[in-house]
Amino acid sequence: MIGKIPMVRLTLLDLRATLRERKTWLAAAMMIYAVLSIPVLLANPPEHVREAIGAWFSDDDPFALFMFVWIDLVMNKAVAFIPVILAAGVVLRERDTGVLAILAAKPITMSRYFVIRTLSAIGVMLTLYVGTQLLGLLWFPSRIPGFRAGDFLAAMSLHAFAAAFATAFAATLIVAVGRRGAGALLALVVLGILVGMALVGFYQPAWYTWTLANPLTLGALSMRALGHLGPGVLLPPMLALSVITALTIAVGARVARRVEA
Amino acid sequence: MTSDAIAVHHLGKRYGAVQAVDDLSFTVEAGEIFGFMGHNGAGKTTTLRMLLGLTRPTSGRASVLGHDVAAATLEVRRVAGYLPAAYALPPDMSAREFLRYVAAMFSIPAATAEARVEALLRRFGLVDAADRKLRGFSTGMTQKVGLAQALINEPRVLFLDEPTSGLDPLGRHELLEHLRELARDHGVTVVFSSHILSDVETLCRRVAVLHHARLIASGEVTALKAEHGATTMDDLYLALVRRPHP
Repeated sequence: MIGKIPMVRLTLLDLRATLRERKTWLAAAMMIYAVLSIPVLLANPPEHVREAIGAWFSDDDPFALFMFVWIDLVMNKAVAFIPVILAAGVVLRERDTGVLAILAAKPITMSRYFVIRTLSAIGVMLTLYVGTQLLGLLWFPSRIPGFRAGDFLAAMSLHAFAAAFATAFAATLIVAVGRRGAGALLALVVLGILVGMALVGFYQPAWYTWTLANPLTLGALSMRALGHLGPGVLLPPMLALSVITALTIAVGARVARRVEA
Repeated sequence: MTSDAIAVHHLGKRYGAVQAVDDLSFTVEAGEIFGFMGHNGAGKTTTLRMLLGLTRPTSGRASVLGHDVAAATLEVRRVAGYLPAAYALPPDMSAREFLRYVAAMFSIPAATAEARVEALLRRFGLVDAADRKLRGFSTGMTQKVGLAQALINEPRVLFLDEPTSGLDPLGRHELLEHLRELARDHGVTVVFSSHILSDVETLCRRVAVLHHARLIASGEVTALKAEHGATTMDDLYLALVRRPHP
Protein backbone atom coordinates (compact mmCIF):
# COMPACT_ATOMS: atom_id res chain seq x y z
CA MET A 1 0.00 0.00 0.00
CA ILE A 2 2.67 2.46 1.08
CA GLY A 3 4.64 1.52 -2.04
CA LYS A 4 1.93 3.16 -4.13
CA ILE A 5 3.10 6.59 -2.98
CA PRO A 6 5.45 7.59 -5.86
CA MET A 7 8.48 8.86 -3.93
CA VAL A 8 8.18 6.02 -1.42
CA ARG A 9 8.14 3.57 -4.31
CA LEU A 10 11.24 5.15 -5.80
CA THR A 11 13.00 4.94 -2.43
CA LEU A 12 12.00 1.29 -2.02
CA LEU A 13 13.20 0.45 -5.54
CA ASP A 14 16.48 2.21 -4.78
CA LEU A 15 16.79 0.38 -1.46
CA ARG A 16 16.17 -2.98 -3.11
CA ALA A 17 18.79 -2.31 -5.77
CA THR A 18 21.33 -1.05 -3.22
CA LEU A 19 20.83 -4.08 -1.00
CA ARG A 20 22.08 -6.27 -3.84
CA GLU A 21 25.22 -4.24 -4.54
CA ARG A 22 28.64 -5.70 -3.79
CA LYS A 23 29.49 -3.02 -1.23
CA THR A 24 26.41 -4.04 0.78
CA TRP A 25 27.54 -7.65 0.86
CA LEU A 26 31.01 -6.50 1.94
CA ALA A 27 29.46 -4.51 4.79
CA ALA A 28 27.27 -7.48 5.75
CA ALA A 29 30.33 -9.74 5.86
CA MET A 30 32.07 -7.29 8.20
CA MET A 31 29.08 -7.24 10.53
CA ILE A 32 28.76 -11.03 10.59
CA TYR A 33 32.46 -11.35 11.35
CA ALA A 34 32.00 -8.98 14.31
CA VAL A 35 29.11 -11.02 15.73
CA LEU A 36 30.97 -14.30 15.45
CA SER A 37 34.34 -13.07 16.70
CA ILE A 38 33.46 -10.92 19.70
CA PRO A 39 32.45 -13.74 22.08
CA VAL A 40 35.77 -15.44 21.29
CA LEU A 41 37.74 -12.26 21.96
CA LEU A 42 35.82 -11.72 25.20
CA ALA A 43 36.30 -15.24 26.50
CA ASN A 44 38.99 -14.23 28.98
CA PRO A 45 39.31 -10.45 29.42
CA PRO A 46 42.25 -9.13 31.51
CA GLU A 47 41.38 -8.19 35.07
CA HIS A 48 42.47 -4.55 34.69
CA VAL A 49 40.01 -4.14 31.80
CA ARG A 50 37.20 -5.52 33.94
CA GLU A 51 38.13 -3.14 36.73
CA ALA A 52 38.36 -0.10 34.45
CA ILE A 53 34.99 -0.78 32.87
CA GLY A 54 33.47 -1.42 36.28
CA ALA A 55 34.71 2.01 37.39
CA TRP A 56 33.60 3.87 34.25
CA PHE A 57 30.08 2.52 34.22
CA SER A 58 29.64 1.80 37.95
CA ASP A 59 28.84 -1.74 36.98
CA ASP A 60 31.11 -4.79 37.17
CA ASP A 61 28.52 -7.06 35.65
CA PRO A 62 30.06 -9.18 32.81
CA PHE A 63 27.13 -8.00 30.67
CA ALA A 64 28.32 -4.38 31.09
CA LEU A 65 31.77 -5.40 29.88
CA PHE A 66 30.20 -7.08 26.85
CA MET A 67 27.99 -4.06 26.09
CA PHE A 68 30.96 -1.70 26.33
CA VAL A 69 32.89 -3.83 23.88
CA TRP A 70 29.88 -4.32 21.59
CA ILE A 71 28.76 -0.68 21.51
CA ASP A 72 32.05 1.19 21.61
CA LEU A 73 34.63 -1.13 20.17
CA VAL A 74 32.44 -2.87 17.59
CA MET A 75 29.24 -1.07 16.56
CA ASN A 76 30.66 2.44 16.95
CA LYS A 77 33.51 1.45 14.65
CA ALA A 78 30.98 -0.06 12.29
CA VAL A 79 28.97 3.16 12.19
CA ALA A 80 32.12 5.15 11.47
CA PHE A 81 33.14 2.92 8.60
CA ILE A 82 30.16 1.26 6.93
CA PRO A 83 28.09 4.44 6.38
CA VAL A 84 31.01 5.89 4.44
CA ILE A 85 31.03 2.82 2.18
CA LEU A 86 27.28 3.06 1.68
CA ALA A 87 27.03 6.84 1.32
CA ALA A 88 30.03 7.43 -0.94
CA GLY A 89 27.84 6.46 -3.86
CA VAL A 90 25.00 8.87 -3.13
CA VAL A 91 24.56 11.09 -6.21
CA LEU A 92 28.31 11.48 -6.88
CA ARG A 93 28.83 7.92 -8.04
CA GLU A 94 25.93 8.33 -10.46
CA ARG A 95 27.54 11.57 -11.67
CA ASP A 96 31.00 10.03 -12.03
CA THR A 97 29.82 6.89 -13.83
CA GLY A 98 27.42 8.68 -16.19
CA VAL A 99 24.15 7.32 -14.79
CA LEU A 100 23.19 10.81 -13.64
CA ALA A 101 23.27 12.00 -17.27
CA ILE A 102 20.04 10.05 -17.68
CA LEU A 103 18.48 10.44 -14.24
CA ALA A 104 19.04 14.20 -13.95
CA ALA A 105 16.77 14.75 -16.96
CA LYS A 106 13.78 13.33 -15.08
CA PRO A 107 11.20 15.49 -13.30
CA ILE A 108 12.85 15.33 -9.93
CA THR A 109 15.12 17.94 -8.38
CA MET A 110 18.66 17.06 -7.39
CA SER A 111 17.75 17.86 -3.78
CA ARG A 112 14.92 15.35 -3.77
CA TYR A 113 17.08 12.77 -5.51
CA PHE A 114 19.71 13.22 -2.81
CA VAL A 115 17.09 12.72 -0.10
CA ILE A 116 15.83 9.53 -1.77
CA ARG A 117 19.34 8.12 -2.21
CA THR A 118 20.28 9.02 1.37
CA LEU A 119 17.11 7.47 2.81
CA SER A 120 17.90 4.38 0.77
CA ALA A 121 21.46 4.27 2.16
CA ILE A 122 20.06 4.68 5.69
CA GLY A 123 17.62 1.87 4.92
CA VAL A 124 20.49 -0.39 3.88
CA MET A 125 22.51 0.57 6.95
CA LEU A 126 19.57 -0.16 9.25
CA THR A 127 18.83 -3.45 7.49
CA LEU A 128 22.42 -4.55 8.09
CA TYR A 129 22.34 -3.17 11.59
CA VAL A 130 19.11 -4.88 12.62
CA GLY A 131 20.23 -8.13 10.96
CA THR A 132 23.47 -7.98 12.95
CA GLN A 133 21.68 -7.47 16.27
CA LEU A 134 19.24 -10.30 15.53
CA LEU A 135 22.11 -12.58 14.63
CA GLY A 136 23.77 -11.54 17.89
CA LEU A 137 20.59 -12.32 19.74
CA LEU A 138 20.86 -15.90 18.51
CA TRP A 139 24.60 -16.24 19.11
CA PHE A 140 25.40 -14.26 22.24
CA PRO A 141 23.15 -15.87 24.92
CA SER A 142 25.10 -19.10 24.86
CA ARG A 143 28.48 -17.31 24.71
CA ILE A 144 28.21 -14.25 26.94
CA PRO A 145 27.77 -14.81 30.70
CA GLY A 146 24.77 -12.91 32.07
CA PHE A 147 23.55 -11.83 28.60
CA ARG A 148 20.23 -9.98 28.87
CA ALA A 149 18.34 -10.01 25.58
CA GLY A 150 15.88 -7.24 26.51
CA ASP A 151 18.58 -4.79 27.60
CA PHE A 152 20.66 -5.70 24.56
CA LEU A 153 17.82 -4.93 22.16
CA ALA A 154 16.86 -1.74 23.97
CA ALA A 155 20.42 -0.41 23.97
CA MET A 156 20.97 -1.30 20.32
CA SER A 157 17.63 0.27 19.31
CA LEU A 158 19.00 3.59 20.53
CA HIS A 159 22.35 3.02 18.88
CA ALA A 160 20.62 2.32 15.54
CA PHE A 161 19.62 5.99 15.50
CA ALA A 162 23.31 6.88 15.67
CA ALA A 163 23.92 4.57 12.71
CA ALA A 164 21.24 6.40 10.74
CA PHE A 165 22.80 9.74 11.65
CA ALA A 166 26.27 8.56 10.61
CA THR A 167 24.93 7.51 7.19
CA ALA A 168 23.18 10.84 6.62
CA PHE A 169 26.27 12.69 7.80
CA ALA A 170 28.59 10.76 5.47
CA ALA A 171 26.25 11.31 2.50
CA THR A 172 26.00 15.04 3.20
CA LEU A 173 29.72 15.56 3.77
CA ILE A 174 30.72 13.63 0.66
CA VAL A 175 28.28 15.58 -1.53
CA ALA A 176 29.48 18.84 0.04
CA VAL A 177 33.09 18.01 -0.77
CA GLY A 178 32.02 17.11 -4.31
CA ARG A 179 34.62 14.38 -4.82
CA ARG A 180 33.95 10.82 -3.73
CA GLY A 181 37.44 9.85 -2.60
CA ALA A 182 38.26 13.06 -0.72
CA GLY A 183 34.74 13.26 0.69
CA ALA A 184 34.80 9.67 1.92
CA LEU A 185 38.18 10.20 3.55
CA LEU A 186 36.99 13.35 5.31
CA ALA A 187 33.78 11.65 6.44
CA LEU A 188 35.81 8.74 7.80
CA VAL A 189 38.10 11.11 9.72
CA VAL A 190 35.24 13.17 11.19
CA LEU A 191 33.15 10.13 12.11
CA GLY A 192 36.30 8.51 13.53
CA ILE A 193 36.83 11.54 15.77
CA LEU A 194 33.17 11.51 16.87
CA VAL A 195 33.42 7.80 17.65
CA GLY A 196 36.71 8.32 19.48
CA MET A 197 35.08 10.99 21.65
CA ALA A 198 31.77 9.17 22.10
CA LEU A 199 32.41 7.72 25.55
CA VAL A 200 34.83 10.34 26.88
CA GLY A 201 32.12 11.61 29.22
CA PHE A 202 32.06 8.23 30.92
CA TYR A 203 35.82 8.20 31.46
CA GLN A 204 35.93 11.89 32.48
CA PRO A 205 32.62 12.68 34.22
CA ALA A 206 33.45 16.42 34.27
CA TRP A 207 33.18 16.49 30.47
CA TYR A 208 29.97 14.52 30.30
CA THR A 209 27.62 17.44 29.52
CA TRP A 210 29.82 18.64 26.66
CA THR A 211 29.97 15.22 25.08
CA LEU A 212 26.17 15.23 24.68
CA ALA A 213 26.73 17.47 21.65
CA ASN A 214 28.26 14.43 19.96
CA PRO A 215 25.51 12.40 18.20
CA LEU A 216 27.49 9.20 18.73
CA THR A 217 27.51 9.85 22.48
CA LEU A 218 23.72 10.09 22.35
CA GLY A 219 23.69 6.71 20.63
CA ALA A 220 25.65 5.16 23.49
CA LEU A 221 23.75 6.72 26.38
CA SER A 222 22.23 3.35 27.26
CA MET A 223 25.59 2.53 28.88
CA ARG A 224 24.62 4.91 31.73
CA ALA A 225 21.61 2.86 32.70
CA LEU A 226 22.03 -0.69 31.49
CA GLY A 227 20.06 -2.09 34.40
CA HIS A 228 16.97 0.04 33.91
CA LEU A 229 16.55 0.93 30.27
CA GLY A 230 13.10 2.31 29.56
CA PRO A 231 11.34 4.96 27.48
CA GLY A 232 12.54 7.73 29.81
CA VAL A 233 16.16 6.82 29.11
CA LEU A 234 15.84 5.89 25.44
CA LEU A 235 13.29 8.24 23.88
CA PRO A 236 14.99 11.64 24.46
CA PRO A 237 18.26 10.66 22.72
CA MET A 238 16.27 8.87 19.99
CA LEU A 239 14.27 12.05 19.37
CA ALA A 240 17.41 14.20 19.43
CA LEU A 241 19.17 11.91 16.95
CA SER A 242 16.11 11.89 14.66
CA VAL A 243 16.10 15.70 14.58
CA ILE A 244 19.87 15.90 13.99
CA THR A 245 19.60 13.32 11.19
CA ALA A 246 16.73 15.17 9.52
CA LEU A 247 18.65 18.46 9.70
CA THR A 248 21.74 16.78 8.28
CA ILE A 249 19.76 15.42 5.33
CA ALA A 250 18.21 18.86 4.79
CA VAL A 251 21.69 20.41 4.61
CA GLY A 252 22.76 17.69 2.17
CA ALA A 253 19.70 18.30 0.00
CA ARG A 254 20.58 21.97 -0.20
CA VAL A 255 24.21 21.28 -1.06
CA ALA A 256 23.20 18.66 -3.66
CA ARG A 257 21.51 21.36 -5.77
CA ARG A 258 24.88 22.35 -7.19
CA VAL A 259 25.67 18.84 -8.48
CA GLU A 260 25.50 18.87 -12.29
CA ALA A 261 25.13 15.75 -14.41
CA MET B 1 -1.08 25.11 -40.05
CA THR B 2 1.67 23.92 -37.72
CA SER B 3 2.44 24.68 -34.09
CA ASP B 4 5.89 24.94 -32.62
CA ALA B 5 6.80 22.29 -30.07
CA ILE B 6 10.12 23.96 -29.38
CA ALA B 7 10.95 27.63 -29.71
CA VAL B 8 14.47 28.92 -29.14
CA HIS B 9 15.19 32.68 -29.08
CA HIS B 10 18.73 34.08 -28.99
CA LEU B 11 19.84 31.32 -26.65
CA GLY B 12 23.40 31.52 -25.36
CA LYS B 13 25.63 29.73 -22.89
CA ARG B 14 29.01 30.88 -21.69
CA TYR B 15 31.36 28.84 -19.49
CA GLY B 16 33.89 31.39 -18.26
CA ALA B 17 35.78 32.56 -21.33
CA VAL B 18 34.26 29.90 -23.56
CA GLN B 19 31.11 30.70 -25.53
CA ALA B 20 29.54 27.24 -25.88
CA VAL B 21 26.35 28.42 -27.61
CA ASP B 22 25.94 31.86 -29.15
CA ASP B 23 22.72 33.62 -30.12
CA LEU B 24 20.85 30.50 -31.21
CA SER B 25 17.32 30.81 -32.61
CA PHE B 26 15.17 28.15 -34.26
CA THR B 27 11.82 26.42 -33.95
CA VAL B 28 10.77 22.78 -34.16
CA GLU B 29 7.28 21.90 -35.36
CA ALA B 30 5.14 19.49 -33.38
CA GLY B 31 5.45 15.92 -34.66
CA GLU B 32 8.52 16.45 -36.84
CA ILE B 33 11.94 14.85 -36.63
CA PHE B 34 14.31 17.78 -36.53
CA GLY B 35 17.99 17.29 -37.31
CA PHE B 36 20.58 19.04 -35.23
CA MET B 37 23.92 18.89 -36.99
CA GLY B 38 27.42 20.03 -36.22
CA HIS B 39 30.93 18.90 -35.49
CA ASN B 40 31.92 17.64 -32.04
CA GLY B 41 31.98 20.60 -29.68
CA ALA B 42 29.76 22.74 -31.91
CA GLY B 43 27.27 23.27 -29.09
CA LYS B 44 24.64 20.62 -29.83
CA THR B 45 24.83 18.88 -26.47
CA THR B 46 24.89 22.16 -24.54
CA THR B 47 21.78 23.27 -26.41
CA LEU B 48 19.93 20.06 -25.60
CA ARG B 49 21.00 20.34 -21.95
CA MET B 50 19.63 23.87 -21.83
CA LEU B 51 16.36 22.74 -23.36
CA LEU B 52 16.04 20.15 -20.56
CA GLY B 53 17.04 22.56 -17.81
CA LEU B 54 20.21 20.63 -17.04
CA THR B 55 22.23 23.78 -17.46
CA ARG B 56 20.99 27.37 -17.34
CA PRO B 57 21.26 29.63 -20.38
CA THR B 58 23.35 32.76 -19.86
CA SER B 59 21.27 34.63 -22.44
CA GLY B 60 18.08 34.25 -24.43
CA ARG B 61 15.16 31.97 -23.72
CA ALA B 62 13.57 28.77 -24.95
CA SER B 63 10.36 26.87 -24.45
CA VAL B 64 9.28 23.26 -24.89
CA LEU B 65 5.56 22.73 -25.48
CA GLY B 66 5.01 26.21 -24.06
CA HIS B 67 7.02 25.60 -20.86
CA ASP B 68 9.91 27.99 -20.31
CA VAL B 69 13.02 25.83 -19.92
CA ALA B 70 14.54 27.99 -17.18
CA ALA B 71 11.40 28.68 -15.15
CA ALA B 72 9.43 25.45 -15.59
CA THR B 73 12.19 22.87 -15.77
CA LEU B 74 10.28 20.02 -14.15
CA GLU B 75 7.26 20.56 -16.44
CA VAL B 76 9.56 20.33 -19.45
CA ARG B 77 11.12 17.11 -18.16
CA ARG B 78 7.70 15.64 -17.47
CA VAL B 79 6.77 15.82 -21.17
CA ALA B 80 10.23 15.10 -22.57
CA GLY B 81 12.39 12.06 -23.10
CA TYR B 82 16.17 12.32 -23.30
CA LEU B 83 18.93 10.03 -24.43
CA PRO B 84 22.30 11.69 -23.77
CA ALA B 85 25.36 11.13 -25.93
CA ALA B 86 27.49 9.86 -23.06
CA TYR B 87 25.83 7.92 -20.28
CA ALA B 88 25.93 4.69 -18.34
CA LEU B 89 23.27 2.44 -16.91
CA PRO B 90 23.39 1.29 -13.27
CA PRO B 91 25.41 -1.92 -13.52
CA ASP B 92 23.74 -3.76 -10.65
CA MET B 93 20.18 -3.27 -11.90
CA SER B 94 18.43 -5.32 -14.54
CA ALA B 95 16.78 -3.65 -17.54
CA ARG B 96 13.35 -4.28 -16.02
CA GLU B 97 14.35 -2.81 -12.65
CA PHE B 98 15.93 0.23 -14.25
CA LEU B 99 12.84 0.97 -16.34
CA ARG B 100 10.67 0.59 -13.21
CA TYR B 101 13.02 2.96 -11.40
CA VAL B 102 12.81 5.60 -14.13
CA ALA B 103 9.02 5.22 -14.22
CA ALA B 104 8.93 5.89 -10.47
CA MET B 105 10.91 9.08 -11.06
CA PHE B 106 7.99 10.25 -13.20
CA SER B 107 5.56 9.22 -10.44
CA ILE B 108 3.82 6.91 -12.91
CA PRO B 109 1.36 4.68 -11.01
CA ALA B 110 2.78 1.19 -10.42
CA ALA B 111 0.30 -0.73 -12.61
CA THR B 112 0.71 1.69 -15.53
CA ALA B 113 4.48 1.63 -15.10
CA GLU B 114 4.52 -2.16 -15.15
CA ALA B 115 2.51 -2.27 -18.38
CA ARG B 116 4.78 0.28 -20.05
CA VAL B 117 7.94 -1.48 -18.92
CA GLU B 118 6.74 -4.77 -20.40
CA ALA B 119 5.63 -3.06 -23.63
CA LEU B 120 9.00 -1.33 -24.05
CA LEU B 121 10.92 -4.52 -23.30
CA ARG B 122 8.93 -6.26 -26.04
CA ARG B 123 9.24 -3.37 -28.46
CA PHE B 124 13.04 -3.32 -28.20
CA GLY B 125 13.48 -7.09 -28.12
CA LEU B 126 14.78 -7.05 -24.56
CA VAL B 127 12.37 -9.54 -22.98
CA ASP B 128 14.90 -12.39 -22.79
CA ALA B 129 17.54 -10.14 -21.24
CA ALA B 130 15.17 -8.15 -19.05
CA ASP B 131 16.29 -9.68 -15.76
CA ARG B 132 20.00 -9.79 -16.49
CA LYS B 133 22.23 -7.21 -14.82
CA LEU B 134 22.96 -4.26 -17.09
CA ARG B 135 26.72 -4.56 -16.55
CA GLY B 136 26.83 -7.36 -19.14
CA PHE B 137 24.89 -5.54 -21.87
CA SER B 138 26.43 -4.86 -25.29
CA THR B 139 26.54 -1.34 -26.74
CA GLY B 140 23.49 -2.04 -28.88
CA MET B 141 21.47 -3.44 -26.00
CA THR B 142 22.54 -0.57 -23.75
CA GLN B 143 21.34 1.87 -26.37
CA LYS B 144 18.00 0.06 -26.57
CA VAL B 145 17.55 0.33 -22.80
CA GLY B 146 18.63 3.97 -23.10
CA LEU B 147 15.94 4.64 -25.66
CA ALA B 148 13.37 2.63 -23.69
CA GLN B 149 13.98 4.75 -20.57
CA ALA B 150 13.54 7.89 -22.69
CA LEU B 151 10.10 6.63 -23.73
CA ILE B 152 8.81 5.41 -20.36
CA ASN B 153 6.79 8.60 -19.79
CA GLU B 154 5.33 8.49 -23.31
CA PRO B 155 7.05 11.79 -24.09
CA ARG B 156 5.66 14.32 -26.51
CA VAL B 157 9.17 15.58 -27.24
CA LEU B 158 12.20 13.37 -27.54
CA PHE B 159 15.76 14.71 -27.39
CA LEU B 160 18.34 12.30 -28.75
CA ASP B 161 22.02 13.19 -28.62
CA GLU B 162 24.13 11.12 -31.01
CA PRO B 163 21.86 8.10 -30.57
CA THR B 164 23.39 6.05 -33.38
CA SER B 165 27.02 6.41 -32.27
CA GLY B 166 28.52 3.03 -31.54
CA LEU B 167 25.69 1.06 -33.10
CA ASP B 168 26.25 -1.53 -35.82
CA PRO B 169 24.40 -1.04 -39.15
CA LEU B 170 21.46 -3.24 -38.10
CA GLY B 171 21.11 -1.54 -34.73
CA ARG B 172 21.25 1.84 -36.45
CA HIS B 173 18.59 0.83 -38.95
CA GLU B 174 16.29 -0.45 -36.19
CA LEU B 175 16.74 2.71 -34.13
CA LEU B 176 15.93 4.98 -37.07
CA GLU B 177 12.84 2.88 -37.80
CA HIS B 178 11.69 3.26 -34.18
CA LEU B 179 12.09 7.02 -34.40
CA ARG B 180 10.13 7.24 -37.66
CA GLU B 181 7.37 5.18 -36.10
CA LEU B 182 7.27 7.40 -33.01
CA ALA B 183 6.88 10.55 -35.07
CA ARG B 184 4.47 9.03 -37.61
CA ASP B 185 2.23 6.94 -35.37
CA HIS B 186 2.44 8.75 -32.06
CA GLY B 187 3.07 12.35 -33.09
CA VAL B 188 6.23 12.58 -31.00
CA THR B 189 8.48 15.54 -31.80
CA VAL B 190 12.06 14.33 -32.12
CA VAL B 191 15.19 16.45 -31.93
CA PHE B 192 17.87 14.28 -33.47
CA SER B 193 21.36 15.55 -32.79
CA SER B 194 24.10 13.89 -34.79
CA HIS B 195 27.26 14.41 -36.73
CA ILE B 196 26.45 11.35 -38.86
CA LEU B 197 25.05 13.18 -41.85
CA SER B 198 23.54 10.15 -43.57
CA ASP B 199 21.38 9.46 -40.50
CA VAL B 200 20.16 13.04 -40.45
CA GLU B 201 19.37 12.93 -44.17
CA THR B 202 17.50 9.63 -43.79
CA LEU B 203 15.37 10.86 -40.95
CA CYS B 204 14.89 14.60 -41.02
CA ARG B 205 13.01 16.98 -43.26
CA ARG B 206 14.37 20.08 -41.54
CA VAL B 207 17.73 20.68 -39.89
CA ALA B 208 19.73 23.24 -37.96
CA VAL B 209 23.49 23.35 -38.45
CA LEU B 210 25.78 24.54 -35.65
CA HIS B 211 29.37 25.53 -36.23
CA HIS B 212 31.63 26.84 -33.47
CA ALA B 213 28.68 27.56 -31.16
CA ARG B 214 26.68 29.49 -33.78
CA LEU B 215 23.77 28.56 -35.99
CA ILE B 216 25.00 28.82 -39.57
CA ALA B 217 21.92 27.45 -41.34
CA SER B 218 18.46 26.08 -40.70
CA GLY B 219 15.56 24.99 -42.85
CA GLU B 220 14.40 22.17 -45.10
CA VAL B 221 17.16 19.86 -46.27
CA THR B 222 16.03 20.00 -49.91
CA ALA B 223 15.86 23.78 -49.87
CA LEU B 224 19.27 24.10 -48.27
CA LYS B 225 20.77 21.71 -50.81
CA ALA B 226 19.29 23.68 -53.67
CA GLU B 227 20.43 26.98 -52.20
CA HIS B 228 24.01 25.79 -51.85
CA GLY B 229 24.18 23.67 -55.02
CA ALA B 230 24.75 20.48 -53.06
CA THR B 231 23.63 17.02 -54.13
CA THR B 232 24.51 15.12 -50.97
CA MET B 233 24.33 15.91 -47.27
CA ASP B 234 28.13 15.82 -47.09
CA ASP B 235 28.37 18.44 -49.86
CA LEU B 236 25.79 20.59 -48.11
CA TYR B 237 27.55 20.41 -44.77
CA LEU B 238 30.95 21.19 -46.28
CA ALA B 239 29.50 24.09 -48.27
CA LEU B 240 27.95 25.50 -45.11
CA VAL B 241 30.98 25.24 -42.85
CA ARG B 242 33.50 26.40 -45.49
CA ARG B 243 31.73 29.60 -46.42
CA PRO B 244 32.91 32.64 -44.48
CA HIS B 245 31.05 33.31 -41.22
CA PRO B 246 30.84 36.69 -39.52
